Amino acid sequence: MALAPSELMRRQTQVWRRPSVLLVGSPNVGKSVLFHKLTGRYVTVSNYPGTTVEVSRGRMRHRGREFEIIDSPGMYSLMPITDEERVARRILLQEHPDLVLHVVDAKNLARMLPLTVQLIESGAPVVLVLNMMDELERAGLSIHIEALQQQLGVPVVPTVGLTGEGIDALKELIYERLAADADLPARG
Amino acid sequence: MNDLPPTLTYPPAVEQAVEHIQTLLRGDYPLSYRTLALLLLQDDPEIWDEISAQESPHTIAQIRQLKEQLERAGDTPLAWQIEHQRQLWSQQLAAQVTHATTPPRPSTFAEWVGWLCMNPWTGFPILALVLYFGLYQFVGIFGAGTVVELIEEGLFGEYINPFVERIVRATVPWQPIQELLVGEYGVWTLGVTYAIALILPIVTFFFLVFAILEDTGYLPRLAMLIDRAFKALGLNGRAVIPIVLGFGCDTMATVVTRVLETRRERVIATLLLTLTIPCSAQLGVVLALLSAYPLGLAIWAGVLVVVFLLAGWLAAQILPGRAMPFYMEIPPMRLPSLSNVLLKTLARLQWYFLEVLPLFLIASVLIWVGQLTGLFDLVLRVLTPLTQLLGLPAETSVAFLFGFFRRDYGAAGLYNLHEKGALSGNDMLITAVVLTLFVPCVAQFLVTIKERGWKTALAMFAIAMTTAFGVGFALSRLLNVWGVQLG
Repeated sequence: MALAPSELMRRQTQVWRRPSVLLVGSPNVGKSVLFHKLTGRYVTVSNYPGTTVEVSRGRMRHRGREFEIIDSPGMYSLMPITDEERVARRILLQEHPDLVLHVVDAKNLARMLPLTVQLIESGAPVVLVLNMMDELERAGLSIHIEALQQQLGVPVVPTVGLTGEGIDALKELIYERLAADADLPARG
Repeated sequence: MNDLPPTLTYPPAVEQAVEHIQTLLRGDYPLSYRTLALLLLQDDPEIWDEISAQESPHTIAQIRQLKEQLERAGDTPLAWQIEHQRQLWSQQLAAQVTHATTPPRPSTFAEWVGWLCMNPWTGFPILALVLYFGLYQFVGIFGAGTVVELIEEGLFGEYINPFVERIVRATVPWQPIQELLVGEYGVWTLGVTYAIALILPIVTFFFLVFAILEDTGYLPRLAMLIDRAFKALGLNGRAVIPIVLGFGCDTMATVVTRVLETRRERVIATLLLTLTIPCSAQLGVVLALLSAYPLGLAIWAGVLVVVFLLAGWLAAQILPGRAMPFYMEIPPMRLPSLSNVLLKTLARLQWYFLEVLPLFLIASVLIWVGQLTGLFDLVLRVLTPLTQLLGLPAETSVAFLFGFFRRDYGAAGLYNLHEKGALSGNDMLITAVVLTLFVPCVAQFLVTIKERGWKTALAMFAIAMTTAFGVGFALSRLLNVWGVQLG
């Protein structure tokens, strides 16, 4: 049975309104592991239009709400050099994500922050995810989360992708930030 | 889209241009005007396309002009200036929020072993065990002793060399050329034989041990253990790699000082290698000389440690600059994989052959020239008073000189002198100390020239020469004063 045009419109807007979360970060920071921890089984992988670069999309459910999670190719800077970086930036600019999770290797914070600050400058709604916290601890280091949060002016969430530590807190943060947005008219 | 207050400020000129460009932009973009301005200054082609579609040609021209003005004013590219500022800012912020904690207690067996290797109380005894079994027993006694005897004296000495010699003597009519090829110090008899029959087995055993230590994850832990001590010598833990390699072959280790970050560190490491670290061939000689005198062996080792620390400390005081901070990722401790170990050993052996073998060939040509021209007699005349100053018989100077070209010849000469009763136990100890402190061999000297340049290499040669004879002299006096009599 064909759907009435009004029904089709309603469904489309619903899809449109599912809040989207984009994962960005340099290679080897555990971004993909984090993506799978957030999304579970609902994942599709496709080439980004016109390129050979793969982009994974999945759905995250939390407290009865659904969120779209997009895993972007590795990028080091907002100024692209490689094809991967170019695609990552294009996704960032064209998908209008409601939240941008910058995933970093916590024990290499100094090398990661240049992209964080560029994302913040760009006006994107950034959350800094300090991944691989276990390795940081094993190296005999700790990061003062509140101080970093205050300096950057964005939320900072510590996680361990491999064990799933901190994932619930991250889901909760996404929910808090976006659940209310889901009922607002779409942006763009 | 509204702009957030900047969390980071760029150099004033850049910041000014960014603010100016921000006021010119009118369009609707998915990026903040501030970011757009920064990307335009860095000449991002996609962003230029983007604004060309939305802004007036007049605005575009104005922005282009601003960018070009800024480019002309600075001496470094704008992209570099911007990136540099970001990195500085990031490093400051990271340092501000990162703190050291005590690392957690190890939980698995492998972590325990790794922890024990790095803890000073257990780490140094473990290092002593590694040196004793890995270096002394396996490389020194077995490799440099048993195996070399089999290959050098057996295979080369009895079969190959007599055969080659016969052919050369039969086919080459002119005597000096015969000498060049198969004489006592000929290209074949010294260069090739020495490199293949003596050094090759020793370094093979050494590289094997080195690869095992590397593959288990012991070396980075040793680097951490030693780091603090090395800081006082103007080095850091990273220098452990060339220094440990030096026990195998100082020549190779001198090349490997390339892994160090600054020229200062490379010079200090090369000096320590030249002066104090005995290579496996030197170890073999010293062990043969002093095997009958355990006390002598202990004094020899003690003198080397003192000279090592003193020379490093002095060099660190004199050479400008300071020790670099040391970061090294500590991989997990694990059992070595056989294929990895063999592959690494093979790769190093191949490298050794390509880099070091030609130097041995050059060395034998140099000896040939030295003997033919009488240059050696001249050098001997300089050396003889020095050895006599140490209370050693004149013949030892010949051993010193040839020892520089061929370690085992020097040793054999010394051994004969000892048999004849010309050298006492004390004399043997002093000789061993002088031989070790002296430049290890002509190949190491040539590599130092290649790596550090003529001036530095000659300075090191002079330092090694003075230190070797100075320490030898002081030691002979001290032994007399304290009434130490070996044997």
